[in-house]
Amino acid sequence: MHNSNCTCWNCPAIDLAGKVDFRACGQSAEKFEKNIDEDGSSQVMAECKRRPELGLFDPMAITFEQCSEWRETPYGYLLKDMRVMILGIDGYLGWTLALWLAKLGCKVSGVDNYSRRDWVKERGAHTVVPIARMSERLHAAKEVLGIEINFRQIDILNERGRLKEFIDEVKPEVIVHYGECPSAPYSMIDVDHAIAVQRNNVLGTLGVLFIMRDVVPESSLIKLGTMGEYGTPLTGRPLFEGMFPADAVLKWDNREWSLGGELTPRDPVSFYHVSKVQDTYNTVEACKYWWLRSYDVMQGVIYGVHTDQVSRDPRLRTRLDIDEWFGTVINRFVAQAVIGLPLTLYGAGEQIRGFIPLEDAMQCMTRLIAFPPEPGQYAVVNQMSGYYSLRELAETVARVGKDGFNLAVKIQRLENPRVESERHPFEPIYENLSKRYGFKPKVTLEGEIYRMFELLMQPEIKRRIEEKKHHIIPKTWWSGEKRQVETIEVLEPGSQMKMEEEKSVAHRG
Amino acid sequence: MWLTEANFDEEVFNSKIPVLVDFWGSWCIPSQMMKPIIDKLSEEYDGRVKVGKINVDQNPGVRAKCKVLGCPTIIIFKDSKEVIRKVGAQSDNQLRELIELAVLKG
Repeated sequence: MHNSNCTCWNCPAIDLAGKVDFRACGQSAEKFEKNIDEDGSSQVMAECKRRPELGLFDPMAITFEQCSEWRETPYGYLLKDMRVMILGIDGYLGWTLALWLAKLGCKVSGVDNYSRRDWVKERGAHTVVPIARMSERLHAAKEVLGIEINFRQIDILNERGRLKEFIDEVKPEVIVHYGECPSAPYSMIDVDHAIAVQRNNVLGTLGVLFIMRDVVPESSLIKLGTMGEYGTPLTGRPLFEGMFPADAVLKWDNREWSLGGELTPRDPVSFYHVSKVQDTYNTVEACKYWWLRSYDVMQGVIYGVHTDQVSRDPRLRTRLDIDEWFGTVINRFVAQAVIGLPLTLYGAGEQIRGFIPLEDAMQCMTRLIAFPPEPGQYAVVNQMSGYYSLRELAETVARVGKDGFNLAVKIQRLENPRVESERHPFEPIYENLSKRYGFKPKVTLEGEIYRMFELLMQPEIKRRIEEKKHHIIPKTWWSGEKRQVETIEVLEPGSQMKMEEEKSVAHRG
Repeated sequence: MWLTEANFDEEVFNSKIPVLVDFWGSWCIPSQMMKPIIDKLSEEYDGRVKVGKINVDQNPGVRAKCKVLGCPTIIIFKDSKEVIRKVGAQSDNQLRELIELAVLKG
């Protein structure tokens, strides 16, 4: 198991408060040295909140493999009845993870204020896969999967006191933070939306960090960031996992410095992405000041509909949005293909992004939960399982639609309402999850697209796509213009784009 | 090599070859990012220079004895004595230079 040799040092059940002298860089050590014996020896001792009978002991002496509280699972050793709280438990990822973890034996609690449902409703859109009300979801989870989820309706931004009470009551050993608005276009609608997204995301997360400091400092915070925080730097340098490695150097004026540990420059591409960047910095600082422990998950674009749990019963399904604000690209492509609309590329369609299917994302999160960070550790993983240009993805969706479902799918290029590079270098580094946490992708791109077609071809879902198809083509311009985007060209899959033809003519000339 | 309070004196002060020690903390991001290159150098200099790392929070006695005030701190010991100290992230090439300097100087 990849985490067999972790010790109580990593375990959220350890009580280090007041027992270990942590200090950040540059803080004076002098006042602590009184605890050290004359011969220079000292031993770090701590207590276990789960096994108080151990008394004071050396927290490096017991490994996960040796501890009776840690159990073997397919994802590494996992704390028995691990208390996991999911912020944003009603969302696409939150609900899926709740069922996944509860089925694995975790004690899952969660909060949500249904803002995602509200935002989508406000735009006049809807989830094309119908989802049940929370009370019905919880009931079905118990009936079908035999799991109990402890849910409370709380707004993490405006009801901080209630959130603190709930966290104090549950004492989660891990907090998974999905409680943010995840949409770039939603944040670009107008000033009110930009402010709402930044307030919700930045200030909501800041509140969570303070609550963790005061109530559960040994728990880990697994926070959702996005690969979009990095943008697509035109220098072509690799997109490292959050920070520069120590052998990356800055050369200037005939001198050389290691960049090791400096956060790589961020280049967010919308006011939503800016909010995620600020969360990153706030979390780094909280870990530095208070020795909180956090994994910041820079997730690629997510797609898909399947896990064993959500597919078990219609009442357990997670939402699937296809509108211009909340629909991610592959999900939107499949929906378009199902109702015979051309798949829409913005601009050149050569934008490249990292992607991960829903089920693999759940596996990654579980592996991170099973391998808690060390005190004060802030680490970043780039969570993706492959990267593709949007044109390639459209071709793949068209191919699966044709071969598997006999659909004639076209592709169209639209004016790009966003301000982004349409042709750019892209070299993401995404090794941490597989090297350190044992992640093995299980789902293929074609396989998940196939499963999406199967679900979205169902008559009721197809009808729900038809009903809201006018919300697929974007109207939100980064420039603030108020008009529909226009079509540049419609293509048969596999054919050359107009500008490609122009390019090749120019080349021949 | 993992150093601790228990083996520090033996592995560092009683070592027959020079020892490079990386004092690191889990809360220190530059420290985290130096780990792979410390491991790489440990293999590269195997038999000539011992390369070890020690966690400053788990081993406060050594931290105090070596007067380490920040992370990452790199100290090279030779013949039981500290010969070079550097605070802050170092690239692999900078560490190689330090090692050459320490070995040559002696």
